[in-house]
Amino acid sequence: MDTTQLLKGVLDLAVLAVVSERDGYGYDVVRRLRAAGLDDVGDASVYGTLRRLYSGGHLTSYVVPSEEGPHRKYYAVNDAGRALLAASTGTWRSFTDAMDKLLSNEEGEAA
Amino acid sequence: MNDTIEGAAENQVARYASAVRAAFADLPGPERELLLEDLEDHLAEVAAEAGGPLSERLGRPEAYAAELRASAGLPASGARRRRTGSWLRETWGAQQGRHLWQAASAHPAGRAVIEFLPELRPAWWVVRGYLAVQAASVAISLLDANLGGLSFPVPQLLGSRGLGLLAVAAVVTGSVVLGRRGTTRRGLVALGNVGLSVFAVAMLLELGASEAYDDQYHPEFVTTYSGPVSGLRADGREISNIFPFDADGKPLADVYLTDQEGRPVVATHYDNEFLEPRQLVDRNSDEVANRYPQEQRQLDPATGQRYPGPTPEFRPPPGPVRSP
Repeated sequence: MDTTQLLKGVLDLAVLAVVSERDGYGYDVVRRLRAAGLDDVGDASVYGTLRRLYSGGHLTSYVVPSEEGPHRKYYAVNDAGRALLAASTGTWRSFTDAMDKLLSNEEGEAA
Repeated sequence: MNDTIEGAAENQVARYASAVRAAFADLPGPERELLLEDLEDHLAEVAAEAGGPLSERLGRPEAYAAELRASAGLPASGARRRRTGSWLRETWGAQQGRHLWQAASAHPAGRAVIEFLPELRPAWWVVRGYLAVQAASVAISLLDANLGGLSFPVPQLLGSRGLGLLAVAAVVTGSVVLGRRGTTRRGLVALGNVGLSVFAVAMLLELGASEAYDDQYHPEFVTTYSGPVSGLRADGREISNIFPFDADGKPLADVYLTDQEGRPVVATHYDNEFLEPRQLVDRNSDEVANRYPQEQRQLDPATGQRYPGPTPEFRPPPGPVRSP
């Protein structure tokens, strides 16, 4: 099954979860998502998601100068972002519960 | 050597970024910049990590742009072009605005300002709410001069400041709520945002107009700085000493000067290390400040010596002097 299709639906949630755990800049978020097991996550998708969440008022940003290389724009979750994360987490849980139930029925029948 | 590698990486980032940007040419400038303002920095981070050219690791710039569009919630490139309102983007003014915006974004300082603009949005939401109430109060006062009118800092609504304060609290709250939603939603919310902004701009114009009115018709409110108020001046220049001459051009000494009411006329004493007025006192040790010419001693910076200052030349007009 193509995980990129699955990712599309949950990238907001994944990005919010990663950033709410710790503030991060764009490429740092990409790396942390991949380290968490979402290997197929696209760089452009993460960038676009961050910008959309930011312009939608769910993230704030601040610039941290870096000694080597360009300055980095860090993103942080604000109250609106936390509310969205909580709501999306709820949706995700009920969705996966339903899927789990469905799949365990399938397995049961297959066994 | 290292410089060459870094330079090559920068070039690569710039080339890749401009190819990505090209795929967003259909977006209005501000929206595009909001989306792409970090693109170069972001790509530089990717490039800084070892492992092949950008196009190998991120795919072709066109594909990258398409993925970015989708994740940012934008329609695919081209789908947007002929929508309602697109004629507005083709007007001369809009094109000039776009060119200006592009020029500003190309410059590092311009980019810095543009990056900062989104941070100002919450402040604008608050300000426009306040201005909207002021505008409403002015609009009401146009209908009935007894109600409202311009009042600072608390606007009057229907003649009441309490009501004005309540209205400011309510409208500012509404404005912030609308502002926070407006960035994601469309329709009524966008209309509310536009309406509030129009109100606020109208208010700013009204304020400007009333300032101009004040300047024009109430010159007594205009204060001008005229320098220190003590001392003696002619044509705005400070006078530190007075040299009286008689009708033959002979300098006079020990002349007392008063004004029209007999008050001593005291010259400005420079606080000047090169010119040192000699203080005079009378028998009662009271200062005598209006006897001219005052003895002033000048410092010669070369020698450190002080000597009496020069007496100016004066040629009296050919006599006899009379009323014409």
